Amino acid sequence: MLVIKDLSCSVKDSDYSILDHFSLTINDGEIHVIMGPNGVGKSTLSKVIMGHYQYEIHSGDILLDKESILNLDVDERSRKGLFLCMQDPTVIDGVSNSEFLRTAKNSITSKKVNLYTFIKELEDGMKDLSLDENMIHRSLNKGFSGGEKKKNEILQMKILKPKMIILDELDSGLDVDSLKIVCDNINSYLKENRTASLLIITHYPRILEYIKPNFVHILKDGKIVKTGDYQLALEIEKNGYHGINDISGDDVSE
Amino acid sequence: MNKILYVLDNNQSSEYQYNIVEDTIIFHFSINSSSKVKINLLTEGVQLYYYYSNINYSNHEFSIDIRHMKSNTHSEVINHGVNVFNKKLKYSVNGIVEKDCSGCICNQENEIINMDDGKSEICPNLIIDNYDVVANHGAYIGKFPFDKIFYLMSRGITRDEANRLLLHGFLIESDSIDVNRISQFLDEIQKI
Repeated sequence: MLVIKDLSCSVKDSDYSILDHFSLTINDGEIHVIMGPNGVGKSTLSKVIMGHYQYEIHSGDILLDKESILNLDVDERSRKGLFLCMQDPTVIDGVSNSEFLRTAKNSITSKKVNLYTFIKELEDGMKDLSLDENMIHRSLNKGFSGGEKKKNEILQMKILKPKMIILDELDSGLDVDSLKIVCDNINSYLKENRTASLLIITHYPRILEYIKPNFVHILKDGKIVKTGDYQLALEIEKNGYHGINDISGDDVSE
Repeated sequence: MNKILYVLDNNQSSEYQYNIVEDTIIFHFSINSSSKVKINLLTEGVQLYYYYSNINYSNHEFSIDIRHMKSNTHSEVINHGVNVFNKKLKYSVNGIVEKDCSGCICNQENEIINMDDGKSEICPNLIIDNYDVVANHGAYIGKFPFDKIFYLMSRGITRDEANRLLLHGFLIESDSIDVNRISQFLDEIQKI
C-alpha cells in the first residue's frame, strides 16, 4: 500500500513549487490513474516517489506499507518494491542489458541468482514481449526504438517483481500493436501478483482501454482536483481539461 | 578489421609510433601512465580505430597525433579516462589532414570522469588543410551524469555498484575487446 500524505515539494534550489499538499492512497491490488495537462507535475510526482535528488520535500510524507520512505535512497526504495517505468528510459553505453538486469536482480533479491534460472526467465519474458533476443546483449537502451525501450522497461518489471509499479507515459512511443502486447504483459503480471498495485500517469485514455483502472484522478496546480472512474478519463478525452469543472467525478476539497 | 593490437602501459612513460597501411584497431589501456602516440595513415582508404582507456592516480599526460597522409583515410579516436584522485590529467588529441588528402574522415571523442576533484584537461585539435574532409571532435570532463546513476539505482542497484557498472562500461566500451587479453586492466577497474 502506498500512501502519499499532504506532500509539497519544489525543484531543489529554486522557488518553483510543483506538488502542493498532494495526497493519494493506493491500496494493494488497486489501479490508479493520474491525468492532467502538460506541466502540472505528473512526471515529477513519479520521480519524487522514487526519490530523485532534483526535488526538495517541504512537507508531508510518503509511506510504503505503512513505513516512511522519505529518508531512503533511490535503490533502497526500489528494494522495498517500488518500480518506475520511465517516460524516456536512459541510455547507458557499455553496460549490456543482461549484465544490468542480473546485477539488479541480485540486488533486489539480496542473493546471487542462479544463472540458468535467470536466463530462462529472461528468455520467457522476451518472448512474451516479442523482443528480439539479441537486444539482451546490446548496451542498455542504446539504439533501441521507442517501443523497444518501453518493452524493455516492462521486461525489467517482470524480472524484478515489484509490488508498487508506476508507469510514466507508458503509451508514448508505442504503436497500437506494441501497446497491446505491453498491456497484456502488465495485466498478466497483476493477475499473478494480486497484491501488486499500479499508478498510471498518462495524457490519453488509450492505455486504459487495455488496463482498466479503479480510480482516475485529475492533477492540476500540484494537487488532485477531481477523482472518478474510467468514465472520467473518457470525458477528459472528449472535453479536454478546460471544462474540468463541468465534468463528472468527485471534487476533491482541501 | 585486418589487424587488432593490444597495448598496456602500467605505471610507465611510453612513446609509440605506428605507420598504418591496413585497416587496424588499436586498444590502448593505460594504468597511471603517460604516453605519446604518433600515427601516420599511409595507404589510401585505410581505416584506424583507436580506443584509449585510462585509469589515472597521479599527474599524467596523454598525447596522440593522427596524421592523414593519403586521401580517403578514416580515423576514429575514442579516449576515455578516469581521474581517480585529486590529480592532474591532460589529453592532447590532434587530428591532422594534409593539404593533398581529400575525402578523409577524422573524428575524435574524448571524455574524462573525475571521481574526486582532480584537475583534468582536454585539448581537442583538428588541423585540416583540405576542404573535402569530415572532421568532428567532442570533449567532456565531469562526473557520471546523475540520470544514469538514478536509472541504475531505481532498479535496486546500490550507488557503489552503479558506479562500478558505469566505470566498466566506460572503460571497456567496445564489443570487439577480447577481455581475456586485458585481465590486468579489468582487475584495476575493480580497485577504483
